[in-house]
Amino acid sequence: MASSRVILPIALTIALSAAPAWAQIEPAASAGSAPLTGFFVTTPTPEFAVSLEDGVSIPVSLQNIGLTPQRAGFDVSGLPEGWSWTLRSSTGASSVSAAIVPPDSTQELTLDITPLEGAEIGSYDFALQAQHGGSTISLPLTVTLSESEAGGVDLEAELPALRGAPNSTFTYRMDVANNSGEDALFNLAAETPPGFAATFKRGFGSEQITGIPVAARSSERITLELRPASGVPAGSYPVRVGVVSGELSASVDLQAEVTGTPDVRIVGPNERLSGNANAGATTNFPFLIANTGSAPAEELRLSGSGPSGWTVEVAPETLDSFAAGTTQEIDVAITPSEQAVAGDYIVTVRASGGGTSESVQFRVTVQTSTIWGIVGVAVIAIAVLVLVLAVLRYGRR
Amino acid sequence: MRREGSPFKGTWTIALKEAADHITSARMHLVMVLVLLTAIGSAYGAIELLRQNADQDAFLFLKLMTGAREPLPSFASFMGFLIPLVAIALGFDAVNGEFSRRTMSRILAQPIYRDAVLFGKFLGGLLVLGIALMTLWLLLTGLGILLLGLPPSSDALVRGLAYLVATLAYAGVWLALAIALSTIVHAPATSALAALSIWLVVSVFWSITAPLLAQWIAPVDPLVPMSVITQFEIQQAIARLSPGTLYGEMTQLLLDPSARTLGPIFIEQLHGAVIGAPLPTMQSILLVWPQFSGMIAAMLVLFTLAYVVFQRQEVRA
Repeated sequence: MASSRVILPIALTIALSAAPAWAQIEPAASAGSAPLTGFFVTTPTPEFAVSLEDGVSIPVSLQNIGLTPQRAGFDVSGLPEGWSWTLRSSTGASSVSAAIVPPDSTQELTLDITPLEGAEIGSYDFALQAQHGGSTISLPLTVTLSESEAGGVDLEAELPALRGAPNSTFTYRMDVANNSGEDALFNLAAETPPGFAATFKRGFGSEQITGIPVAARSSERITLELRPASGVPAGSYPVRVGVVSGELSASVDLQAEVTGTPDVRIVGPNERLSGNANAGATTNFPFLIANTGSAPAEELRLSGSGPSGWTVEVAPETLDSFAAGTTQEIDVAITPSEQAVAGDYIVTVRASGGGTSESVQFRVTVQTSTIWGIVGVAVIAIAVLVLVLAVLRYGRR
Repeated sequence: MRREGSPFKGTWTIALKEAADHITSARMHLVMVLVLLTAIGSAYGAIELLRQNADQDAFLFLKLMTGAREPLPSFASFMGFLIPLVAIALGFDAVNGEFSRRTMSRILAQPIYRDAVLFGKFLGGLLVLGIALMTLWLLLTGLGILLLGLPPSSDALVRGLAYLVATLAYAGVWLALAIALSTIVHAPATSALAALSIWLVVSVFWSITAPLLAQWIAPVDPLVPMSVITQFEIQQAIARLSPGTLYGEMTQLLLDPSARTLGPIFIEQLHGAVIGAPLPTMQSILLVWPQFSGMIAAMLVLFTLAYVVFQRQEVRA
């Protein structure tokens, strides 16, 4: 025992208790009088906890400092009944029961412990024993079996705060991680501001879901599609998404920042988009312009266009700031061309600027001038007059 | 010497008697059988055509009158051709026939004025024409409902009635012409021939004469593009002297709701127009109003001519 320098915990206690002494001999050691020599069996993790189903893999390193090549045979003592173990070399997967370590080198091995199926929860102590040169080095290890490592469920949003127009869809991607030891079906729920519509989808799928099964110790991606209520004012809206399955639950807070947009509509006279006009004569049509959006429309330019030779004048021509939820009357003066023949024509009335654009097509029926009707009546009247004169002159014979 | 009382006393008596004479006459029967057969033939052709390529159309019943299936022309063009014949048949011997039968003195022996005789003859003829046209129109509409299985739309009805009135005015022109000729010419055969030759010239040769006259009046200058339009407008004005042209234009505008104008039209004027959109019925009627008033005026002028000539004629027993 004394000749072969022992296991880490022991070495550590020695190091701790003998720290002042080492500190004293350190200058001597650096002078080359007493270098550290020996054969060591160590592991970085002598005590740990694992879940019930998992196998246990413990990295073990054999160290030979300043000695001739050392052979070591291995055994595990103190394992509970029914548990099994294997030692693998780190380079290959083959099972080993002995190893030779050349001088001034280190060999890495892995100790696999397979707990008995249905082993009880608790701590188990055992030791890895290495026979070497007639002596035995013992490396005590402690494994704690537990139901699950962390337990519970994790819900994490990729991008928790989004920004968009009121008519756009806010898409949040989230990962539901099931850290428990059992598969679980999680119910999905979203707490949204009134009027907002929330739908869940799985990953990038298209089916709407209300729950999602997540296998033990794995995670699933879900997508929340949020549609703001129509006509919501601009602002930041909180959304809370929760997943619940029995005892397990998690939630995440999301933010939807709805930006305001103006939505300008043009309504024709008496809500009709047709009217009558006479060739060459100006007819005024009272249109209504309404902003049904959630933000004022800035610098709205109003204009109109018709067939060539027509004049379409819109008054006022610009609206500096057109507040949301208001309507205003605009006057559209349409003058068909002098040469316009009777029939239907299309006149376009436009409102654009301030990030919005709206146009309506107004159907103008050009009516025949009634002048020719009067001329026709006059012609008939003259003919009747001639007849009457003839009757007066030659009548009653 | 001035006489007492209204000159129109007894007009309706004469008109109804004249109408009764026409309706029972063999001449009228022959002409109407001819018109009926052609009308039914062309309408049947149009219905067959409509059945073959039936489509959604609000003006299906107007297509009954304008639709033509080879080799028959359409109902409307038949009317334009045959209505003058019927009117001439009714009026070519209205006055000189009475003279040649020596019945004029007997009529004038009744307590009525001469005015009433001529007015009555004209109104009687117009009444018979009106009855004949109304019957034809009802027959056509009935055939349409029976064979198409659809009722006509109110728009189509109004347009059809407007077309009926226009046709009556057209017939009135020819009736007035025939009566005027029968007053001026003494032999009934001569007046019939004169009326028929005028009808032939106006219906067939006028459309050939008008472009020739227009070329002579306003030759096209190759360097002045507007001269083409000037010539076309002059040609149109000359063609419109014929009642047949006026009637054709009225038919086109009344029976085709998508027709907008008759004159030359520039592409620029069509820009932004909704092509094929039907014109409101009132607009179509307003468009044909000049043609209609021209026709009525022509009828009145021709009748006045007949009236003046008749009033100045010597009537002997």
